[in-house]
Amino acid sequence: MNHLFAALGIILAGGVLPLLMGRRLTAIRTTGALGIATGSLLGLIHAVTLLGTGGTHSASYRYLHTFNLAFRLDGLAAFFLVAIFTICLLAALYSFHYMDDPDRPGRTAAHYLLFALLTVSMALVVTANNMLAFAFAWEIMSLSSFFLVLYHYEEEANRRAGLLYLIFSQVGAMFLFAAFGVAFAHTGSFSFEALRALPENTKLLVFCLAFVGLGSKAGVFPLHFWLPHAHPAAPSHVSAVMSGVMIKVGLYGILRLYLLLGYQGRAPGYILLVSGILSGLVGVVYALGQDDLKRLLAYSSVENVGIILIGFGLGMIGVATGQPAMAALGFTGALLHVLNHALFKSLLFMGAGMVLHTTHSTRIDQLGGLLKRMKITGTTFVLGTLAIAGLPPLNGFVSEFLVYLGSFRGLTGGRTVMLLSLLAIISLAVIGGLAIACFTRVVGVAFQGEPRSDAAANAQESGVSMMLPMVLLAGGCLFIGVYPDFIIRLAHNAVVSVGLPQTVSTLKHTLALANQITRGAALFFGLVALLWLLRTLLYRAKTVTRAGTWGCGFTQPTTKMQYTGSSYADDILHFFKSIVPKRVDHPPIEGRFPSATRYHSEINDLAERQVEPLILRPVHWIFEKLRWIQHGDIHLYIGYILLTIVVLLFFV
Amino acid sequence: MQAYLYFAIALLAAPLFPGFILKTKAFFGGKKGPPLLIKYYTVAKLLRKGSVYSTSTTLLFKLGPVISLAAALMALTFLPLAGQPAILSFEGDVILVLYLLGLGRFFTITAAMDTASPFEGMGAAREAYFPILCEATLFMVLILLYLLTGKLSLSAHFAGSTPLDLWNTAAAPLLFTVLALFVVMLTEGSRVPVDDPATHLELTMIHEVMVLDHSGPDLALIELGSFLKLLFYAALIAPLACPVQLAHPAATAGVFLGALALIYVVIGITESVMARLRMDRVPMFILTSFALAFFAAIISLEFVA
Repeated sequence: MNHLFAALGIILAGGVLPLLMGRRLTAIRTTGALGIATGSLLGLIHAVTLLGTGGTHSASYRYLHTFNLAFRLDGLAAFFLVAIFTICLLAALYSFHYMDDPDRPGRTAAHYLLFALLTVSMALVVTANNMLAFAFAWEIMSLSSFFLVLYHYEEEANRRAGLLYLIFSQVGAMFLFAAFGVAFAHTGSFSFEALRALPENTKLLVFCLAFVGLGSKAGVFPLHFWLPHAHPAAPSHVSAVMSGVMIKVGLYGILRLYLLLGYQGRAPGYILLVSGILSGLVGVVYALGQDDLKRLLAYSSVENVGIILIGFGLGMIGVATGQPAMAALGFTGALLHVLNHALFKSLLFMGAGMVLHTTHSTRIDQLGGLLKRMKITGTTFVLGTLAIAGLPPLNGFVSEFLVYLGSFRGLTGGRTVMLLSLLAIISLAVIGGLAIACFTRVVGVAFQGEPRSDAAANAQESGVSMMLPMVLLAGGCLFIGVYPDFIIRLAHNAVVSVGLPQTVSTLKHTLALANQITRGAALFFGLVALLWLLRTLLYRAKTVTRAGTWGCGFTQPTTKMQYTGSSYADDILHFFKSIVPKRVDHPPIEGRFPSATRYHSEINDLAERQVEPLILRPVHWIFEKLRWIQHGDIHLYIGYILLTIVVLLFFV
Repeated sequence: MQAYLYFAIALLAAPLFPGFILKTKAFFGGKKGPPLLIKYYTVAKLLRKGSVYSTSTTLLFKLGPVISLAAALMALTFLPLAGQPAILSFEGDVILVLYLLGLGRFFTITAAMDTASPFEGMGAAREAYFPILCEATLFMVLILLYLLTGKLSLSAHFAGSTPLDLWNTAAAPLLFTVLALFVVMLTEGSRVPVDDPATHLELTMIHEVMVLDHSGPDLALIELGSFLKLLFYAALIAPLACPVQLAHPAATAGVFLGALALIYVVIGITESVMARLRMDRVPMFILTSFALAFFAAIISLEFVA
């Protein structure tokens, strides 16, 4: 564990040093970015070698001479560390050119400290081996990300986003502590090994309580609606880390708790599968309705968390029903999707950050024509959208393919398993189609066509340290998509290390499938190259000219005539209108010589809207009834205190 | 070896079959119609021309036709023709094929949005919408075939004696499946009642408007891709509709080609007797096919369990 802690120490140094640099912005950025990047790189190398060789490390420390904090680095933790360190490394590099506000050196230095704390705490959560260490690291993770969300605290929207996030993370932590409390009440110990000895019903209770807490951090519907507020509010590279990695830490907690409890029944699998289907569908439908690019990406994270939960659910059902092939495919596919989503979501957020940096706007309907003006950003962004839509030959397809195969295996199970597998397959198919629609919308409206505003027309990409991580991530997506063999081995080692029923034959089977995907991808690239050559030959002696787009003979085209993002998504959102409440403000056009009118449409999150009638109003009603206690008379208040002391002394 | 031969024949014969549709429609209209080889003449004419590119477009506009044709060719590589196993096949290749067709769709839509034209945006939005429901139907059909055969590969479902075995064990679900696949073919191939390939009104087009700005060899590649895609879906229906297996492979191939021609004639009849559906009724049409496939899957449990 010493290598890991050394790496974490370097990261912390990268967080503390900028504070000593005074107001010199370049020094702050250099020490911060370099420190965090170096530490992450060392941690990444250590995690990959550990995954490759197998093996486990442990360590434990006494904190304040009272608490025992235990840590353990096994294959599963190492796999999540790979994801954490890769994204934090690239985000730290990105931050160098992104955080270029000369008026706020102090805030930038504080941001580096919080970023370092976030990275270190995420690494500690996945390596925690007892409840205290887990809770300790979890809280540091929540608080550091809360302050990072508040980076631009001048805007009220960001303050409200931060407050919503804080409420969610603390309520989630309460549920997590309740779960730990139930376990402690039965076993009397904080260690994770003792969880296996709980009675079966208690295990289910602990799992469900923890699922609420961990799931709200992961962004599971209906506990997800803090995500679209908080992730866009943070600086773009922090959004990349939060969306790409921090929500995965929540998923890690769910998986680890399931493995530690060792519950024999199928309930956890069913719960995860149904939550995954709901999150996946709701996430992508809401993503279609967003005008703000970063909000759209946040909802898309909810969708991908759904896909990962479907994979985990299938894996758990496979374990509970004794189908090792289904379990292997489900878990491997889901873990692979954890890493894949980290890669392409970070890529997309970094692209959005570059767009924000130069045009100061992330509203899709105000952009346009960015691909011509920002070639590297545009190209890597398009590759990222291909990956997130799950299209071959990129990495999103590989993990979805494995989850599909796992769900097909489930069709041969009992009635409930068959029905749920059927729902999973159909949901994955619909989610895939909706993702294609969502991301063709983003690319088509924001990056293609003509610019709809001056800011978009003058967009220019800048900052090598911002473009380099994007290129690396795009290359990684392409590499894993074409050659998934290496990553599948790592994911398999992670699954084996936690003792899930695996055999050598399931690995061989999965690798054979990966091999077929590689061959298919190679054939596809060969065909594309051949056709491009054919096309060049065909165009050799031909006249090729350029002209304006055909506008049906209209002589005064403006860029406002292009199709907007809201129109693009309108039909699909209408199909899903029961879960997508849309508010339209459009005074009708009246009379023969109508005056100006306006159109404003807004998609409200169903879960967010239902919080008021379902939770807030009953709670208010209850507390209104208790209002009579607060009457303002100091004498009776003293009487309350005396009564409490008496009760505590005599009865407790 | 035979698979490669059949692949080459399919490639060369793909532009022949849409001629059947046009001849059938002409017959219903009391006309003589264009020659059967019309699509070959069209492609040859396009290959002779040059192109005009819009100033709004980027490299993605030029990539669109290439990738959609490559995706259609890949789909054909995994497709078993005339009862022969395909050139390539592995477990789950159906999913790869469907997602490759999705990749082709992504690039077609992107190429359309590249032109900054509202017509093409409209077509692109519809093209992004309707296939979502088709995917649901296709995967439901896959679930049905997996329940019946236990395998997840095109060659396992449509090659050899499997179609005949399926008809012998589970005829009713297969009838529904043929109908569902027919509806999907009409949608993905952009035929009436989803989209009218002969319309000239941009506001009512789906596929035709997306390729409005393509010309010359680019358009020829797109046309070839669309012929191959229609052939792909027809070749899925043909072994299910006419599951014969004769001793001589040439005879089986002949029956297969005859079945394909029959399917195209039925498309022509459908186009002649039905009007195009209003755009907001199309989802219900596609969902009907999903319902058929779903009932087929539920009924097949009776035959499996």
